[in-house]
Amino acid sequence: MLSTDLRNNVLVVRVAEKRIDASKAPAFKDEMTKCIDSGQNQIVLDLSSVDFIDSSGLGALVSCLKRLGPRGGLAVAGATGAVSRLFTLTRMDRVFALHATVDSAVEQLSA
Amino acid sequence: MKIRHILLILTAFLGAALLVAVAVQIRNEILKYQTAQRMVASNAVREQLLLGTDALASERSQAYVLLIREAGESDKLYKLREARRRVDALLSAAEAEIGRTKASLSNTNGSLASLVRIREEIGTLRGQVDGYLAPDQPLRGFEFAPRWFQQASRLVEELQSSRMTLLQRERPLDPVLRTEANLRAFAAILSESIARNQALVTHALVRMAETGSLELDAISQNAGRAGLAWELIDGQLAVPLSEKVEKAVSSTHEDYSTTFAPLQRSLLAAFIGRVPPALSPDQWYDMTERSLRSVALMQQELLTSSRERLEAELSRAQRTVALWSALLLLGIAAVITSALVVRRRVVQPLEGLSDAMLKLADNDLTTPLPRLTRADEIGAMNDALRVFKANAIQRQRAQSEKQLLHARLRDAYRQLRKDLEAAAVIQSTMLPAAATLGDVRYRGLFRPSSLIAGDTYNVVRRTDGGIGFFQVDVAGHGAPAALVSVACHHTLSQAILTRTQGTHLEEIAAQINEDWPEDLPYFTMILGEIDPRGQRASIVQAGHPSPLVIRRGGTVELIGDGGFPVGMISSASYERLEFDFGPGDRLLIFSDGLVEAENQEGEQFSEARLRQLVGENATGTTPAVLETLDGVLRKWRGSETLDDDLSVLMLERLPERTQADAVH
Repeated sequence: MLSTDLRNNVLVVRVAEKRIDASKAPAFKDEMTKCIDSGQNQIVLDLSSVDFIDSSGLGALVSCLKRLGPRGGLAVAGATGAVSRLFTLTRMDRVFALHATVDSAVEQLSA
Repeated sequence: MKIRHILLILTAFLGAALLVAVAVQIRNEILKYQTAQRMVASNAVREQLLLGTDALASERSQAYVLLIREAGESDKLYKLREARRRVDALLSAAEAEIGRTKASLSNTNGSLASLVRIREEIGTLRGQVDGYLAPDQPLRGFEFAPRWFQQASRLVEELQSSRMTLLQRERPLDPVLRTEANLRAFAAILSESIARNQALVTHALVRMAETGSLELDAISQNAGRAGLAWELIDGQLAVPLSEKVEKAVSSTHEDYSTTFAPLQRSLLAAFIGRVPPALSPDQWYDMTERSLRSVALMQQELLTSSRERLEAELSRAQRTVALWSALLLLGIAAVITSALVVRRRVVQPLEGLSDAMLKLADNDLTTPLPRLTRADEIGAMNDALRVFKANAIQRQRAQSEKQLLHARLRDAYRQLRKDLEAAAVIQSTMLPAAATLGDVRYRGLFRPSSLIAGDTYNVVRRTDGGIGFFQVDVAGHGAPAALVSVACHHTLSQAILTRTQGTHLEEIAAQINEDWPEDLPYFTMILGEIDPRGQRASIVQAGHPSPLVIRRGGTVELIGDGGFPVGMISSASYERLEFDFGPGDRLLIFSDGLVEAENQEGEQFSEARLRQLVGENATGTTPAVLETLDGVLRKWRGSETLDDDLSVLMLERLPERTQADAVH
């Protein structure tokens, strides 16, 4: 469900799913955990394909952030619509660095 | 038709065919045996008759010679008596033989009767001879002799013909036997011709002067008949006969043609020329006697040969019958054996297998299989059936294990469901029923996506009259979320009730967030209170959807724009939002299950549609609004189920004039 791409030492993880809900969240979390455990600490999560994230999905995102720890950076790119509203509603826009595009996220993280 | 019938009928049919063939053969052989037996019997009778005929001819010659002589000669009388005894003995033997062979020969009574008659006539003739030969009757015999001779000759002929009758009746098929019979018949003619001339020529020699042309013609005729008989005999010799018979025939023929025939010819010539022959009657008589003996010897050889041949045929037929009978028994034994073998080796095992198969097909796996240790097809079938049975037993075992497992699962599921249903009842009792606390009336709508939900809400009145309320949505749903929601319910209710004066709502939220265990799921909530005396209310929004305020006038406002969920970020801070909440104003709090409910096309119900719906129904009573909301949502979903828990809490500050109506 995830495809990765290393750009400027930043791992771009693209979520190839329309939804991150209760049924997808555990798998998403597992794959993300693998990426993080492989030593990447600058990660851009590309959510441009994702239409909907529910509470389980949001929990998985936050647990990834926690796993990455204070040394790393997890930026979110391409969040729109319901996803963007969820980030706002839960104040996650203050926890995750939100970017309109992957490029800007990579630029910020690699700086 | 069963295989056993087919096989047994086939075996029986083959056996019957075999037995019929053998039986036909046996019948043929028995017929041959019976024919041979008849031939032997007929031959024995004819042998006696032939010998008797010869003996009678000899008696006739002797009696005749005695009759034409003047004086009786005692030794010749004695010989005559001898001859008579011989005839009697032979004819008695013939009679006895006929009596003995009654069983195998037909019409023996006729033969016996004619033989008795002939013997009576012989007796009469003998009486006449004895009369003329008596010492007081000289010379008269001479005159009587020719007539007597004729009568005697007739008897000889009758005897001869009775023999021929028998031969006609039992005519042998074997060419050698037939030739031998013919030869005997011709030899009998020959013998009779010689015997007649023995008497007639003796007569001519004794009484030459009285011998006329009539007598000479008779003699010449007899000589001619003898010659003819020899021609006939010679004509029969083309058939290969036994060496002994051929030798006897040729020696007799030679004897006849070298001695007897020339002598007879010269005598006849002498009689015709009236020249006294140089031969005494006794000499002639002895001469012919020798010739007759030679012919009799030949007859004897022929009889012996025929007898031996017939006996050989008889014993061959006997042997053949015995052989075929043995074959018949063997055939019967073979048929019975093959029927038994087919029954035991094919039919019974097949029936056993077929029975077992039918029972197995009926699912009777306890049925025992036939105990066969064979390498043939039936053995292979049995082995296959054994494997089939073993598989079927294994399958049945697996099936019953599966059923057992299924039953256990069903029980476990039933138990689980029972537990969940009980939990659901407990959960629903935790939720406050619609009620009015002071001047605040509230009503909830609660629809879990499964039996129990991660959503909960409560409205409590503090001792100071303040109305505290909350609505919680634990991340995820089902049993874990439900359990956590119970914890939240308790924690929040206690926090509201035990809040010390001056502690703000946002501080309560922050405190709970701080204390929330790391490994529990986070939750979103609206925590709020309604000032009992004023016209204000305040809330803390913790990641929960922004509630709506429906003003008394029907306008709809959105309160708040978000906040951190509780239990997600440990250092999160919360804000308190204060807003006007006067009489007739209503607060609508809802979990995200309402706005995120998707229709069949995957489209969310959305906050916009909710606002519009609430706006359209803003003047309706609380129950009516909730009912409409529920109905519209069900219609939106197109089914009775939900993907996420749904809870709605509606609080209303009662208008002043209806505050007295405690119950709605």
